Amino acid sequence: MTRRRGGPSDGGLQGAGAPHGGMDATTAPHRIPPEMPQYGEANHIFELMQNMLEQLLIHQPKDPILFMISHLQRDNNNVPKIVILGPPASGKTTIAMWLCKHLNSNLLTVENLIARELSSLAAGARRHYQDVTKVPSTLLVRLIQERVSEEDCIRRGWILDGIPETREQALMIQTLGITPRHVIVLSSPDTVLIERNLGKRIDPQTGEIYHTTFDWPPEAEIQNRLVVPEGISELETARKLLEYHRNIIRILPAYPKILKVISADQPCMDVFYQALTYAQTSHRSNAPFTPRVLLCGPVGSGRRLQAALLAQKYGLVNVHCGQLLKEAVADKSKVGELIQPYFQKKMAVPDSIIMKVLDQRLSQQDSVQKGWVLHGFPRDLDQAHMLHSLGHQPSRVFFLNVPLDSIIERLTLRRMDPVTGERYHLMYKPPPTVEIQARLLQHPRDTKEQVKLKMDLFYRHSSDLEEFYRQAIAINGDQDPYTVFEYIESGIINPLPRKVP
Amino acid sequence: VASTLTDRTCSAMGTYTYTYTSRPRALPCQRRRYRDHLMQLAEEPVHHGNIMYDRRVVRGNTYALHTGPLPGQPDPIEIQRQQQAKRRALAKKRAQEQFRPRTPEPVEGRKHVDVQTEMYLEEIADRIIVDVECQTDAFLDRPPTPLFIPAKTGKDVATQILEGELFDFDLEVKPMLEVLVGKTIEQSLLEVMEEEELANLRASQYAYEELRNVELAEVQRLAEQEKRHREEKERRKRQQWEVVYKHSETAQKVAARVFAQRYLADLLPSVFDSLRDGGYFYDPVERDIEIGFLPWLMNEVDKTMEYSMVGRTVLDMLIREVVEKRLAAYEQRDDQPPAGKPKDELGESGRMTEPPVGYELQEQSTAQPQRPLPGRDSLQRTPDDGRYMESVLAQETKLMEEAEYEQTKIRKTSGTEVLQPRGDFQP
Repeated sequence: MTRRRGGPSDGGLQGAGAPHGGMDATTAPHRIPPEMPQYGEANHIFELMQNMLEQLLIHQPKDPILFMISHLQRDNNNVPKIVILGPPASGKTTIAMWLCKHLNSNLLTVENLIARELSSLAAGARRHYQDVTKVPSTLLVRLIQERVSEEDCIRRGWILDGIPETREQALMIQTLGITPRHVIVLSSPDTVLIERNLGKRIDPQTGEIYHTTFDWPPEAEIQNRLVVPEGISELETARKLLEYHRNIIRILPAYPKILKVISADQPCMDVFYQALTYAQTSHRSNAPFTPRVLLCGPVGSGRRLQAALLAQKYGLVNVHCGQLLKEAVADKSKVGELIQPYFQKKMAVPDSIIMKVLDQRLSQQDSVQKGWVLHGFPRDLDQAHMLHSLGHQPSRVFFLNVPLDSIIERLTLRRMDPVTGERYHLMYKPPPTVEIQARLLQHPRDTKEQVKLKMDLFYRHSSDLEEFYRQAIAINGDQDPYTVFEYIESGIINPLPRKVP
Repeated sequence: VASTLTDRTCSAMGTYTYTYTSRPRALPCQRRRYRDHLMQLAEEPVHHGNIMYDRRVVRGNTYALHTGPLPGQPDPIEIQRQQQAKRRALAKKRAQEQFRPRTPEPVEGRKHVDVQTEMYLEEIADRIIVDVECQTDAFLDRPPTPLFIPAKTGKDVATQILEGELFDFDLEVKPMLEVLVGKTIEQSLLEVMEEEELANLRASQYAYEELRNVELAEVQRLAEQEKRHREEKERRKRQQWEVVYKHSETAQKVAARVFAQRYLADLLPSVFDSLRDGGYFYDPVERDIEIGFLPWLMNEVDKTMEYSMVGRTVLDMLIREVVEKRLAAYEQRDDQPPAGKPKDELGESGRMTEPPVGYELQEQSTAQPQRPLPGRDSLQRTPDDGRYMESVLAQETKLMEEAEYEQTKIRKTSGTEVLQPRGDFQP
């Protein structure tokens, strides 16, 4: 059963009150202060609890509270737990070592599991290895279990290189409760691999793997040291490949959702970067999440449209700053009267008034519950700071990037029919008849000069805003609206990638 | 009268010769009489003395005297000293005489007269009439001094003032009496008035104090009341504040609980989902089939095929032997070039090579750990992973034994024919 994370949190605190009888206080509708969901999101409370429960179920300790306390103190929810699989000569050891260094984690391979000195299991394994050049699965899995429960693996995570070799091993590891978070499989056509393996060289001192063509070490002394490893002839490689293919096809279904296949036919660095980006993404979790979306972009990038689509699909509250001000003026509220002179003089309304109106709107119950999508607001860094200080931090920020020409094309060709009130676009939605076309009018705001002015205004502040919202996602706004909408959706739904500390 | 003190005829050596000259004169009486010294001070001092007792005259032998500073003659320093001493003494005496308490000098126009202050006046006559001496008996104590009451000299005179001759008492006394009595009465009146006034003051003071006390009491009472009111107000306020605080805290806690419940509503399902995805929860039947049943099946199929393979090789060997024997027999008998036989043999050897190839691959696959199923019971999905591993281990060892057994069997049965094709595939 796959559970689709139910987008924004289901509205209604009334639902939560329902199962409780008893005290009136619990059944009356409550104002949940907005800091709570923000706190939950910011600290990934849901994932934390999920991990803790999983560990509890796996270990089933006699004293659950102590176990939970020690688990929380360990605080290792974000350590990397990666499995790297791949055919021989795909470079998985290299990738594994680089990932290890980059993510500051521990590397576990068959060789270094066997080579451990302090374990009796390892000694037994070594004996086996000497006899048959293979370690029996149970012994290997027990070795892994022993190693993974050590302090440094708990603290810094682990990267398994080439383990599990067979489905049985995979199943055994899974049964023990050792679940990786990311499984990276390198794949590549066999011929490439066979050729590549012929050029493999090993540095006996460091154990690093070099290649005669692709990865030649620069220092001469390392070059002199390099040794041709055994077992790299074509026949050997072919045999190993055969075995690998037989096994991998049965291992892959064991890790359905966390798998990623990367083509190993590219240069090393590309493969590594793909692997690294994948290793740093967190998977979608079922944590309830109220999206608070901020759409930034120059005029004409389609913010209003996207905001409307989002509001419609997810039930978010569409907050357009300019609209809000106009509504306030129309309501003739106190604030509206303050704003009116600015409107009359066509001057920009001062920030403090905007903040008040915005604050009022965003603190209302429905925007707290359902989430909001804001567009047209922070135009420069001060406004962004003020928004931050009010406590309404957006959980997702999108920058819609559209090149100038597209914008000019989009905006300057807008026309309106004065008779019917229909709005047309000379390129995307042309008027049906010539006579309508004859009487179309253009808004004075849509002239080229005005558009250029506004663009300049935006670009002056955009770099500041981009720096302020460091976790913003940049989207190419030059495509058709539904594509852009999908990008925005995926940006909202997928968890933000974690930066490596 | 001069006495000079000459002269130094040899002053260089410090020796003097002394000369003394004086005119002969009459030596007055040295005894000082009463009041005589007053008159004698006016004369110049007389320097005469008995030569016998003069210190200046050298006595004794003169041939061994130490010629000191001035043998027999006082040093000028000593002379000076003596003169100074004398002067000092004189000055002292004069000073003492000056400071002796004397009666002051009489005022102008007056003259002091000596007066007797004894108990009895005595006439002082200057003439000494008779000098009488007496001497008491040496062995008798001094008797007490008899009272000296000098004879009375002079005349007694008395006067007497009779009553009424000086003044009239009644008349004289009236103003005095009036004053006295008046003063007294006045004084007493004053005193009484004072007393009355004091009493009044005191009374008014008492009254005032009474009033004041009453007012103070009133003030205190009011103050107490005020304090009580205030305290009461404070207490009520505090109570209310606490109530509000508790209320808000409860509301917060309840909100937090509600929120947490809502937030984690999806927790359990997602936990179980993720564990299932991670492979920790698996379908035991499926796993059982995968781990236990299918390998056993494959193994059995292997075995069956092996048997058939073995059977075929045995058959091939039999056929070969038979054919060889036949061939040997024909060669012996007819000496015909057998055209078909080598073909047969080739065909047979070809056939023989094939199954071993297929057999090789099978062998390789059986070398993989595949578990036959000893018994269903041991493979029930147990929550205890240790047992699971043990059972797997047991199967593995069994399998390895079987594999070894099969390998030895192969070696035995296939013989030399199969060895060669094997060599092709194992470098």
